[in-house]
Amino acid sequence: MRRNSNRGASAVLRRWCLVALSLVFAGQLAGCVTHSQPEELFQLTPESAANRAMQTRMFETKDETELLSASAAVLQDLGFQVEESVREVGFLRAAKERSAREYGQYISRFFVLVLSMGKVLTPVDLHQKISASLVARAVNPAATRQEVRIIFYRVVWKGDGQVDRTYIPPGQQKMEMLRDPVLYQEFFAKLSKAVFLEEFTL
Amino acid sequence: MTRRAVWGMVVGATLAMLCGCVPPQPGPELLAPTEAQMKIRSAQTRTFDVKDRQVALRSVIAALQDLGFIIERANEALGLVSAARFAEPNYYDMLGVTVTVRPQADGRMMIRANAIYNNKPIEDPKVYQNFFATLERSLFVTKD
Repeated sequence: MRRNSNRGASAVLRRWCLVALSLVFAGQLAGCVTHSQPEELFQLTPESAANRAMQTRMFETKDETELLSASAAVLQDLGFQVEESVREVGFLRAAKERSAREYGQYISRFFVLVLSMGKVLTPVDLHQKISASLVARAVNPAATRQEVRIIFYRVVWKGDGQVDRTYIPPGQQKMEMLRDPVLYQEFFAKLSKAVFLEEFTL
Repeated sequence: MTRRAVWGMVVGATLAMLCGCVPPQPGPELLAPTEAQMKIRSAQTRTFDVKDRQVALRSVIAALQDLGFIIERANEALGLVSAARFAEPNYYDMLGVTVTVRPQADGRMMIRANAIYNNKPIEDPKVYQNFFATLERSLFVTKD
């Protein structure tokens, strides 16, 4: 009787292992499906216009330099360091580094570790660098109206992990564009306050 | 097997190994343009009927931003813009581009783009056609 229940438990365990394995394989396959070609990346997509609208605001002002310096001040308020600036083309680039640790990742790491019986230790996000690239320019020939476009993106560094006996060293990178509208709304709200001007969307 | 045949094999193997030891000579053609490069240069270059260099440069920046590129560096004096983007949706392939704007003697603007994909130069003319199509739109919008 006892033997029987033991056998039942090991069968259940085996089934769980199979499920975990198939999940891992499915994840890897999903990673293989999408591969964009360079020529597609030089083409405007349906999302381009939406992204542009989200990342751009107009201001009724002639003073581009003031707009640019106000943008730098807002970025500083948000904790960014200005890395590059070219006044002649109205360009700014800024960055800040922060921790990228998330509770969810630690929880799923724990469950994967338990399900794989201590064999798979997935790397979690440790550190991130959030960057912003900003361009201000006149939109009409008289230069009475200026537009500001900002693009946020980030690089995330992962910690170490392990699969069976293979050690995954830390420092693996992941890069992504930040497309959360709230982020952009917050920035432009602060900017319009800084220049004492109403902002316009496209 | 005769002894002579064995000796022949040993000598042959030694010679083959020695061949592998000769260091590769750095070719003098490392800096010389290849035929493929000459061909791709015409695809990378286009002349536009724009008088103002500043306008052209700003249109290049706007076009790159529209395409989802992150502007990394710009130099107004040299008419230079460098930008990069991730080959979304995946995040491990990188696409970089450097664009230069130079005024011609006839007052028109020559715009040249060099694109790289994972640090290898892109030689597909279609890539540059797509870029210049977007740039043309951006120039047209800026002029209005």
